Amino acid sequence: MFEGVFTGLSTALMPFNLMMVVLGCFAGTFIGMLPGLGPISAVALMIPITYTLDPSSGIILMAGVYYGAVFGGSTSSILINAPGCASTLVTTFDGYPLAQKNQAGKALALAAYSSFCGGTVGAIILIFAAPALASVSLSFQSSDYFALMLLGLTSVAAFSGKGQVIKAMMMTVFGLMIATVGNDVITGAPRYTFGKMDLVDGISFLLLAMATFALAEVMMTIMRGKMFSTSETMQPVALSSMKLSLDEVKEVAPTVARSSVFGFIVGVLPGAGATIASFLAYGLERNLAPERLRKMFGKGALRGLAAPEAANNAASTGSFVPLLTLGIPGSGTTAIMLGALIAYGIQPGPRLYVDHPDVFWSVIISMYFGNLVLLVLNLPLIPYISRLLAIPAQILNPLIIFFSIIGVYLVSFNTFDIQMMVFITLLAVGLKMLDFPMAPMLLGFILGGMLEKNLSRALVVSDGSFDFLWNRPLTFSIMSVTLIILLLPWILNLGKQLGTKLLSAAD
Amino acid sequence: MSLTKDRFGGLLFLLLSITYGYYAADIPLLPGDKFEPFHAQTMPYWLSGLGVIFSILLIVLKPAPTLESESISNSNLVLMLGLMAFTFAFSVALPWLGFPITTSVFLASSYWLLGERRPKMLVFASVPFALVFWLLLTQVLDVYIAPARLIFW
Repeated sequence: MFEGVFTGLSTALMPFNLMMVVLGCFAGTFIGMLPGLGPISAVALMIPITYTLDPSSGIILMAGVYYGAVFGGSTSSILINAPGCASTLVTTFDGYPLAQKNQAGKALALAAYSSFCGGTVGAIILIFAAPALASVSLSFQSSDYFALMLLGLTSVAAFSGKGQVIKAMMMTVFGLMIATVGNDVITGAPRYTFGKMDLVDGISFLLLAMATFALAEVMMTIMRGKMFSTSETMQPVALSSMKLSLDEVKEVAPTVARSSVFGFIVGVLPGAGATIASFLAYGLERNLAPERLRKMFGKGALRGLAAPEAANNAASTGSFVPLLTLGIPGSGTTAIMLGALIAYGIQPGPRLYVDHPDVFWSVIISMYFGNLVLLVLNLPLIPYISRLLAIPAQILNPLIIFFSIIGVYLVSFNTFDIQMMVFITLLAVGLKMLDFPMAPMLLGFILGGMLEKNLSRALVVSDGSFDFLWNRPLTFSIMSVTLIILLLPWILNLGKQLGTKLLSAAD
Repeated sequence: MSLTKDRFGGLLFLLLSITYGYYAADIPLLPGDKFEPFHAQTMPYWLSGLGVIFSILLIVLKPAPTLESESISNSNLVLMLGLMAFTFAFSVALPWLGFPITTSVFLASSYWLLGERRPKMLVFASVPFALVFWLLLTQVLDVYIAPARLIFW
């Protein structure tokens, strides 16, 4: 393992890769600050740039952007009460009240320190957990992979929120449907191409990611009348002191430690991600806090700010575990990274640890550097980076649209892709207006090809019988977990309804 | 049964799933594929079936309390559609007018659509940007961008 760590260290320490971490953190912080554009959009916007880099540098850049975007989201949550992404929504609960008390500097510093600690704890656990899981998963067969992919797709849907499960499942199926467009990977038969040569290779992952996240998010924000750029609402912020007293550090230290470990565990669960981690950590800390401090939650409690920040960063790191070891993304952002790795010809999964140790370890090591860069470079520069947001909305929005479409065009040099983007963006906007989640669709699209390939192999091996689902203990175990996750929301709901009925009958 | 947002979405998806399943029959199979446990039509048929099941579930089940309904004004909808139309026009004009001209016109018209009316801003935030970006791509990054067909006819 240590040999791998050194390989990763030497790759991550290459001046060019260090520059990628710094650049990624800066770009991510800026994009993450824009209300509405979160880590998924930020990483999607970077894909065209990473295509020109080698795999390690490309993934390092994307990891930097990921952390930067989460940090940028926290910054806008604290300074202007506008979370850049869902995972920093909880940060507004206590971050913004602190800023209103003229303690914006302290709030930003605490958010950065908590994020750093969360990321650090996450990276340390990842160093030990990822290889262990990767070595176990080397014995996986196609039936196990099929079951794992089903688990990943189901978990994303199951964790998508109350009343959204069926819609998320529908979007997963829709993503799988889009993945079937183009020549069949097994037989080469054209599927849903309608005689168009432009569709023979299928719909590109980059195009879909840009259209559904970057472009559709801009369009939704324009439609809501809240265009990106905060030039009208954001006053030059007097950040005040960024120092924390010893008592304050003592107060938040246990919170940060608890939330980091907790966030990492939640992040590892496929589909759970940083948003759920931050909400759960906040709730946990509020319940654990003494009565005196509990009353402060929502009014500028330091613990209330530290908990979600540490948890969401640790969860972001945790979501790399299923991606790097099983090839199954734990969140929408890692789903995009999975697509980028596949585009590089690298198949994430247990073999990644063996075949591409440089990529595997350099990503893990660079995560730590990313956290360090955010703390050392980004935090002092926040007042200056936030000034970039003063670019008028009517100028900034067309530029974001331009970068989205040109990013796709410069990969294929085919104007049909831009037209396809327009079509998919309009479709995505319509689906968003009907409250359909987008992340399950992208996950379904990315895993679609692999799912079909593994299912086909498993069926051929078992001579067309589905008994591989219960004959092999590992496949059976994974399928059982999938079923439990799928049925849990309904069972809980049913239990609640029964309980209410019994109570009303007793009355 | 009232037509809620969820039910409308469910109906649309039902229609999509049926159409998707219908066109699965058009996928050509290799000789003997019919007797294989898995072929090019298998996955599309299963997905179509799953899509139909989930759509019906969404239509039939009691709809969950909808999230905050979006307040979208017609003028904002027109803005969004306008920008999409400009993007489409950009893709059509790009091979004919070339990168610098198309990009400049696209940016300037988008700025204008979103409310920028200062002529200087319209010009300076689009033409120099397009030229510098084009130079960066072609001269620094050595990316080949096809010249305008209309100019280099």
